[in-house]
Amino acid sequence: MIARRDLAARVAIVEDLTPTCFRLELLCCEPVAASPGQFAMLRCAPGLDPLLRRAFSLAGVRSTGDGTIVEMHLKEVGRGTALLRRLAPGAPVAMLGPLGNGFTLGIAPGQRLALVAGGIGLPPVLFAAEMLAAHGSAFDLFVGASTAGELYEVDRLAAAAAVVGGELVLCTDDGSRGEPGFVTAALQRRLDAGRAYVRALACGPDPMLQALGRLATARGLEAELSLEEPMACGVGVCLGCVVELEDGRLVPSCKEGPVFPVSRLAARWRA
Amino acid sequence: MTTDMSTRVGALSLANPILTASGTFGYGLDLADLCPPERLGGIVTKGLSPQPRRGNTPPRIVETAAGMINAIGLQNIGVEAFCRDVLPELDARGVTVVVNVFGESPAAYREVMARCERERGVAAYELNVSCPNVSAGGMEFGHDPALLASLTAACRAETAKPLWVKLSPNAPDLIGTGKAAVDGGADALTLINTLRAMAIDAVQRRPVLQRGFGGLSGPAIKPIALRMVWEVHWALPSTPLVGIGGIETGRDVAEFLLAGASAVQVGTAVFRDPAAPLRILGELERFCAGEGITAVGELIGGLQWPC
Repeated sequence: MIARRDLAARVAIVEDLTPTCFRLELLCCEPVAASPGQFAMLRCAPGLDPLLRRAFSLAGVRSTGDGTIVEMHLKEVGRGTALLRRLAPGAPVAMLGPLGNGFTLGIAPGQRLALVAGGIGLPPVLFAAEMLAAHGSAFDLFVGASTAGELYEVDRLAAAAAVVGGELVLCTDDGSRGEPGFVTAALQRRLDAGRAYVRALACGPDPMLQALGRLATARGLEAELSLEEPMACGVGVCLGCVVELEDGRLVPSCKEGPVFPVSRLAARWRA
Repeated sequence: MTTDMSTRVGALSLANPILTASGTFGYGLDLADLCPPERLGGIVTKGLSPQPRRGNTPPRIVETAAGMINAIGLQNIGVEAFCRDVLPELDARGVTVVVNVFGESPAAYREVMARCERERGVAAYELNVSCPNVSAGGMEFGHDPALLASLTAACRAETAKPLWVKLSPNAPDLIGTGKAAVDGGADALTLINTLRAMAIDAVQRRPVLQRGFGGLSGPAIKPIALRMVWEVHWALPSTPLVGIGGIETGRDVAEFLLAGASAVQVGTAVFRDPAAPLRILGELERFCAGEGITAVGELIGGLQWPC
């Protein structure tokens, strides 16, 4: 196992992406190697409130002259994320990570991946898309949001897809942009039209992931889901973030996940 | 000036007073990359039962003001896997290992201890008689002095090694249960375990945790833990105590030692900062140096009560 580290990071950028989501970029003075799907635990503020760190999926990692920029996209849902949104550039942030596993990105020539994101599940999918594009691996992208104003980074997504001749399918629940309805329905239409994927990689709200799990299982498509569970430690000792597996075992998603093959998960993710 | 950081809990000598609390540091190696366990006074394992346990259905944890509530349900790998897969490396690394034991009957406690007695590397046992999460998990032992005395005596017969009993703050008679454990043959008392608590989702009109109740830990409970350590120390001055409850800093440790603890356990702080036990040890060393303390043992029971 690679030794995990608590990195001393500083805020490089905080900027709004949508009315509810914002980009947080942290500068670490050392190299950081990360895979799409991995996450980091951030301390939101000094002191005892909030007590616990928050887990956030990584949206990308890039080297700069000063070190490594770690990019995350956060949705403001409570006190922790509100405090992070108000941080000023230069503010220190303790960051433990990268943690957990990542998506299986390897494919053979001629194969294609389906990348599926809903809402604030986009960061690991964007990270995967840009990494796959850099490697010349083919994929289609299915990105959903509640409404047009909650879709973000569309230009980056389109650019990544264009590199490998992939399709970018945007969906909104209210039909205000792209195809109306859920991303899983958009994926199903492609499958019905005969498009073949070697694997689907997905992150998003539980109902979306369950719908994808059902679709993938019904069509014999391999799928990997990045799950989100309440997490205290992020390093496998609190056992708060357990996920039920197909064999009935409860395993910590921070350590054995957060990415799980659908076939490994309990039936509620598949049926 | 360097302070002598060594301490003793009864017959057990520790390099320093900082241990990790059961259920917050895995089985001792899980966080070795972030917090080398051999540099601590010791580690207390996750509670071990004769057979592996699955634990409770999630949600299992919820954050509260300066604390958290957990209802993990005593999930563990079982004593056999611990002895086979973990203990040899702990022993090779020179870690002081306290095995936390629980069961649904005195026979189950004894089974765990008997299995460990066949191995090298166990320094002491700590009986979990107060986990408030699982109805069948031993709560009755910690709440009833007579039951606790007989359980402790049964476990005492299983080992010559130090035997600690971890007291529940939820027991109706804390000092009575402490005395019962000592009467049953306990060498030391650990206190406190988590406080029975709940969190409610007002929109859903449901408890946040699937089990409804859980155990509160973290800085929120520190003042209660200090009071209980002091009360038990006052009532049982010759019984070594291991203090636990919301320790976040080296100065917190000094407070527990002054209240009568001979060593302490760091728990929830590990979830915030996996290297917290080592950081806290460093802070305690600096506190002692700053106060001109030559041996950390000088602090134990040193509280000056206002007359």
